[in-house]
Parts: sequence; C-alpha cells; structure tokens
Amino acid sequence: MERKKKSLGFFFSRGYLLLVLLFIYLPIAYVVVFSFNSSKSLTNFTGFSLQWYENMFKDRTMLESIRTTVVVAVIATAVSTVIGTVTAIGLSKARPLIRAMVLETNNLPVLNPDIVTAIGMMLLFIVPGVQLSMTTLVIAHITFCTPYVILTIMPKLRQLDDNVAEAAMDLGASPFKALTKVILPQIYPAILSGALIAFSMSFDDFVISFFTAGVGINNISMYVYSMKRYNPSVNALSTLIVVVVTLILVLVNVIPHFRDKKIKREDPET
Amino acid sequence: MKSFFRMTYPYILWIALFVVAPMIMILLYAFTKDGGNRTLIFRFTLDNFIRFFQDPTFTKVLLTSLRIALITTVFCILIGYPAALIIANLPERLQTLMVLLLTLPMWINMLLKTYAWRGILNDFTLNSEIKVFIGMVYDFLPYMIIQIHTAIAKMDRDLLTAAYDLGANRWKTFLKVTLPLSVPGIISGITLVFLPAVSSFVIPKLLGGGDYVLIGNLIETFFISTGDWNFGSAISLVMALIIIASMWVTRKLDRNAQTE
Amino acid sequence: MTKQNQKPNKNLLIAVVAVLAVLILLALFVWPGFLKGAPKRELNVYNWGEYIDKNVLTAFEQANDVKINYSLFSSNEEMYTKLMSGASYDVIIPSDYMIERLIKEGKLQKLDKKVVTNLDNLTDGVLNMAYDPDNSYSVPYLWQTVGIVYDTTKISEKEMEAQGFEAFRNPAYKGHVYMYDSERDGFMVALKALGYSANTSNRDELNAAYEWLREMDKAVAPSYVTDEVIDAMANGEKWMALVYSGDAAYILSQNPNMSYCTPYQGTNVAVDAMVIPANAANPELANQFIKFILDDENSLLISQEVGYASANKNVLAELSGPEGDYEGNVAYVPRAGYEKDEYYVDIPEDLRGLYSEMWIKVKLHE
Repeated sequence: MERKKKSLGFFFSRGYLLLVLLFIYLPIAYVVVFSFNSSKSLTNFTGFSLQWYENMFKDRTMLESIRTTVVVAVIATAVSTVIGTVTAIGLSKARPLIRAMVLETNNLPVLNPDIVTAIGMMLLFIVPGVQLSMTTLVIAHITFCTPYVILTIMPKLRQLDDNVAEAAMDLGASPFKALTKVILPQIYPAILSGALIAFSMSFDDFVISFFTAGVGINNISMYVYSMKRYNPSVNALSTLIVVVVTLILVLVNVIPHFRDKKIKREDPET
Repeated sequence: MKSFFRMTYPYILWIALFVVAPMIMILLYAFTKDGGNRTLIFRFTLDNFIRFFQDPTFTKVLLTSLRIALITTVFCILIGYPAALIIANLPERLQTLMVLLLTLPMWINMLLKTYAWRGILNDFTLNSEIKVFIGMVYDFLPYMIIQIHTAIAKMDRDLLTAAYDLGANRWKTFLKVTLPLSVPGIISGITLVFLPAVSSFVIPKLLGGGDYVLIGNLIETFFISTGDWNFGSAISLVMALIIIASMWVTRKLDRNAQTE
Repeated sequence: MTKQNQKPNKNLLIAVVAVLAVLILLALFVWPGFLKGAPKRELNVYNWGEYIDKNVLTAFEQANDVKINYSLFSSNEEMYTKLMSGASYDVIIPSDYMIERLIKEGKLQKLDKKVVTNLDNLTDGVLNMAYDPDNSYSVPYLWQTVGIVYDTTKISEKEMEAQGFEAFRNPAYKGHVYMYDSERDGFMVALKALGYSANTSNRDELNAAYEWLREMDKAVAPSYVTDEVIDAMANGEKWMALVYSGDAAYILSQNPNMSYCTPYQGTNVAVDAMVIPANAANPELANQFIKFILDDENSLLISQEVGYASANKNVLAELSGPEGDYEGNVAYVPRAGYEKDEYYVDIPEDLRGLYSEMWIKVKLHE
C-alpha cells in the first residue's frame, strides 16, 4: 500500500517537474527553430536554411564576442566564487551588526538598476584616469557576480551546526582543516549553485559591460542589443551554446555512470 | 572565531572600493543640480527629490514597478517551491543534472528569449498583463528554484526520520521541519527575484505592447536619453531606499519565523 | 559512508572543470586571428550593430595592412556617454544632431580633404546640412526619412496621402496602429502635424504637441513599439506604423500589400555620418577609411547589406534603377529637397527632460 501511494506521488511529481522544464525550454526551442529559418522573420517560419550558421562563422565581430563573453564569464565566476565562499564563511562567524552591514551593502549591486551600477563603475574608473579595458570589464563583472554567490551560500551556512566545526577544532584540527574538511563539504552544493548563477549573470550582462569595456571589446549581449536590424545569426549562436552545453552535460553524466557500472561489475558486493 | 572573520577583509575592501565608492558618487549626483552629466560640481539641493514626488506620474510608475515585481516574486515562489522540493527528493546525481538544466537557459540572451516569447504568445489573445507576467516569471523562476533547492538539499535526513518516528504525518513533517528549514532559501530567492525585478523593464516593454513604463525604464531614460544624471540618480536612490525598507521587513518576518 | 559523501562531490568537481576546460578551448578555437601575428596598426571603428557589410572591413584591412577593432553601440546617447570615459576611437558613425553636439563641444577633428577626395559621390539629399554645411567634419553614410508604412488593403493610397500624420488621430484606425516608441520622433509627428518646426524650443508649441499626442493616444490607442514593428508589419499585423524609410523598404520587399507614405506635412530626414573624434589615435588612417567607405563599390555593399539608402548618389541610382535591388520600392530612396522636411537639431538638456516626461505621460494615457 505504501508502495502504491508512492508511485502515484512519483508520477505526479515527475510530471510537475516535466511541466516546469517544458516551460523553461519552450522559448529556447523557439530560438533554435528560428535559427534554421530561411528569412529574417522571427514570427514566420518560411523554410529551412543554414544561412545564419554560415553567416555566423563568417562574422568575426560575433565570434570575437563569444570569446570575450566566455573568457570574462570564466574569470569572473572563478574569482567571485572564491571570494564569495570565503566571505560567506567569514560572515557567518561575524557579529550580527557587522554581518548585517556587509550583507546590506552586498545587496546594492543586486537591487541597483544595471545602469546605475554601470555609470557608477565608469565614473570610478574615469575619475582617476583609468583607461577602460578588458581588466575594468572583468572587475565590474566580479563586482556584480560576487553578491549572488554570497546570497546563495549564506542560507546554507545558517543551517550548519556550528558545533561540528568547533568540535573538530577542539579535537585538534586547525581552523583551515576545519574549514576544508568540515564546512566546505557541507556547503558544496550551494557553492556550485552560486557559481552557476554567477556564470549566468556574467554571460547575459549588457549595460554594465557596455560602460566598462574598453575600445573594441564586445560581448554577446552587446552584439545582440546593438543590432539595428535583427540578424538571426544570433539564434544560430544561441543554438551553438545550447548544443555545446548539452554535450558537456551528457558527457559529465554518462562518464561517471559507466565508471560506476564498471566498479559494480568488479565488486558485486556493493 | 576571529580568525574566520578575517576572511571577510578582502571582500569588505573590494565592496568599499567598487560598490560603496560608486554609490557615493551616485549619491552626490542625486543631491546636485545643473551638473548635467559632464562635470560634477556639488551644489546641495533637494530639487531632484521634490521633482520626483511632486509629479504623481513618477510615483505611479514606481508603484506599478513594485506591484509587478511583487506578483512576479509570489508566482516564482508558488511555482518554484514544489519544483525545488521535488528536485531535492531526487537521487543526488539527478539533482545536479536538474540544477544544470535549470541554469542552461540563463545563458541564452534574455532579449532573444523575450523575442521568442513574443513570437509564441503572438498566436494567443492574452491580455498584455498576463504576457508580461509569463515573461517575468519565466526569467526569474530558475533563481527561485535554485535558491530553495540549495536550502533544502542535503537537509538532515535524520530530522525527517525522527519526525516520522515521533508519529508526525507528511504534512506535519513538512510544516514543522522542511518548511522552517527552507525559509532562508526562500528569503534568498526573494532577494534574487524581487530586487532585480523592480528595476527590470525590458521584458514588460517588449511583451506589454508599450503599456508599461517602469522605474527601470525611467532611470535609464534619464541617465542615457536625457543625460540628466542628477534626476536619474535621485530616482534610483528613492527606489533603493524603498526596496531596502521592504527587505528589512521581510527579514524581520524571517527572524520571527526562525524563533518560532 | 565517507565514500558516499565524497563521490558526488568529486563528480561535481569533474563536471565543473570539464565545463570550464571545454569553454576555454572553444573560446580559443573561435578566437579569430589566434596564433596569427598581430599587424602593426589598429583602427578603432565605433558603429551601430548590423550596420555594415563586414566584407568591407576585411577588404580595408587587407588593402592597408591594419587591424580594425570594431565596437558597437545601440543609440547615439549611449555612444556619447561612452565617449566621456575618454575612450579613443578613430571613426564613429553617429546621427546628425549628435554630430552637431560633438562639433559644438569640440570633440571632433576636421577631415583631411586631401585624403577624402571623393565627396562628389554624395547625393544632393545629404548635402548642405546645417550642422556641417561644407562637410568639414562629417561624411554621410546612410540616410532616411521618417514616414508611415500602411496596408493598402485597409487604407487606400489616396486616403493616406491626404491625411499624412493626421492618420494617427483617425479613430477609424483605432487598435490598428503602431507608434514608434521614441520621444523625439513622437513629438516630431505632432509638431509637424501642427505645422511647427520639429526643432522648436517654444514651450507653447511643445504643449500643443503634447495635447495632440494625448488625443492620438485616445483616438487610435496605438501600441508603442521599437524594432519589433519591422517583423510585425512585414506580417501585416496592423494597418499602419511609424517607421524609418530604410525599415519600410525591407517591409515593402517582404509584403506586397504594404506601401510607404512620406507625409505632406514634412518629416524628419535622418543622416548617419562618419566623423573623426578629436582624440583619435590614428586620424590619417581614419581619413583613408572614410574615403574607402564612400567609394561606389563599398557603399554599394553596405547599402545592399543594411537596406538603408546610401549617401552615395551612384549607389542610390543603381539600387533603385532598373534591375536594382530596390527597383519600384517607394521607400528606398528618401524624399529630398522638400522644404518642410527637417534634420534634427540638438536640443538643450532641460528640454530633453521635458520631452521625456511628457512622452511618458502620453504612454501612460494621462
């Protein structure tokens, strides 16, 4: 009886999840379909064609924008994940007043309209005469990505049992060891989620990038927003991103699966 | 635990330089007039704020933005919470896959996805408000799901078992154990959805047929088209203060929920 | 137990590292010029997105052994704000009123007419502009008028030409109208319909225009749109829309029911032109680039790719003439020499604020 109840709930919950995924992937599918359109229209599918892919690979400005976007997103994600994690752990042990003050400031880049952050950052660079460049772009991205990492990790830290880390230290573990062996493993999923969100934020930013990037630097969003006439090659570009990431996902999920099967075959006990 | 607190020094330095310093400049602009956007000659004035509050149009725009952000946030919680809960009960490997699947669409340019929604919704005769909410919830839902999921994933299973052992039914366990533990995740989700949603305007503009002038739109117009950084700064300051106040209330509620 | 705890973590780590590695590899692969030696000279060009044939850039690079750094902007004001950061570009392609502002503020340098020797190629419609009458600072690139695209199966040509901009206040079209969401263009329509100058700074005239627009909002309840209007009109979704002639030319080529009307009340003629900023690092090359663009061959490629009217008279004649891409397309060649047509003049800052405020109120039906 217990089993029957579970299977009903099982189908219901999987069905719900499927609906959510459908909702989330519907526009993506639309973008992909129209990358194969034979005309420039975004609402009328007039026929199959690969011309937008051809255009994309010929368009060096677009290709350069992919490179910029990826490089900036990778650096910004790496740095902001590390800073964010370290800061969140430190803050969880800070006095409530200091914690509240830092977290409140941390919220500013999240709540400020992009244009305010952008103009503020631009002013900050031009007042002392710093030339805008790739570096200023990366600094800006780290600045607006880190708050997301902190916001993602903080709730997880609040759930942690303080006593475990303290017990570890009482038993002779150094604070560093307590950190890496006790705290980090427990908040690992939160760090990963934070990194993913940071990556997405960096990947999709337009306004802040526009005002902090140096001459000749465009990212994908700058390309998309500046289009005077719609160019479906940006659909082709998005399709490419979807395909690459899907491939990675498949690989990452299939390889460990095979390895586990192998282990299982060698060691039937587990 | 002082050694742990020292870990926050680099970031405090970072935000002092890259968040607080720019904000101070924006603050100066908000209390200055006639500086245009060329030079900042500080002459204290409250004119920009008076101009904002004297004209009911601006207040109306701000209220509309808050309303849209609020409804978006509520729908994100209603749709996102069950999804996060279901994901948290999946086998661990599937959980990671689901989080990645939820993030992937966020890498596709928001403008393109919104154009796609316009194409999809074109064939339906929906009122423009519903279209706006579909677009907004769509854009922010992944953040909410990920935040709530992060909070309840890897939750102490012993707690649930203990609750069952003590004779609590599913509902009771959910209400007394799972829900309170997920509150920090919900708060985090609200922060990531509500805060940016107040100032977002591209989606309502594209899906609402131009019927939506929102605060983000206003700020961008004054910063870019008009070139009046003073007034633009003042509007964003008013908006920031209102949001901070509302977040403070939310956190108060959270604290009450925690101590319960 | 410990093994179980660690395994997923390890997989996650592998996942993250794999994603990063593949992305970086991908970035390196699609990095044009990666592993190639960098040429010595660079030219920084700042232009609207999708506003050039990129083959022209490549041709210039090969002919002059130079690398072009191509940056994009989506509005004159955005470009202007970015310029204030002190960024140095060699060639920028802004619109008329912005060029006026840049000249006034001393942010441009004069062209070297010993290098730009093909100014004779310019068509009459873009000559003698008030902001730069003898082309000392700027060389027109593409140009167009603001007008009305309409569905001839719903509104006859005679009906439309007789009304001009007043069609935006004809209640018979209620619910079938797109208005372009730009305060300057919106006010231009009202001011022109009222017989005033589109560049007026007379507050009474502006208030009259504001009232005109509010009546428009009530009479036809337009949808305020931007570039999505192009696709929508090509699909025939509404009866009429305010558009730029270059976009109209595309709409007409996609939908034979559509036609284009340049209103008799006079309209805005918009010119985008190439200029050299005062702080350009490489003005010599910039002058060569401008001449290169104005050559018939390259102007032709650009106008064909973008679909807007060329500032080059030979290209204009070729594309609109027999066998040309735009033969019989009434929208391709902008109206020239009509005395009621005007270029936009840069308006002072306080007036800009007023425009913004009043336009927002029109859209909010107040």
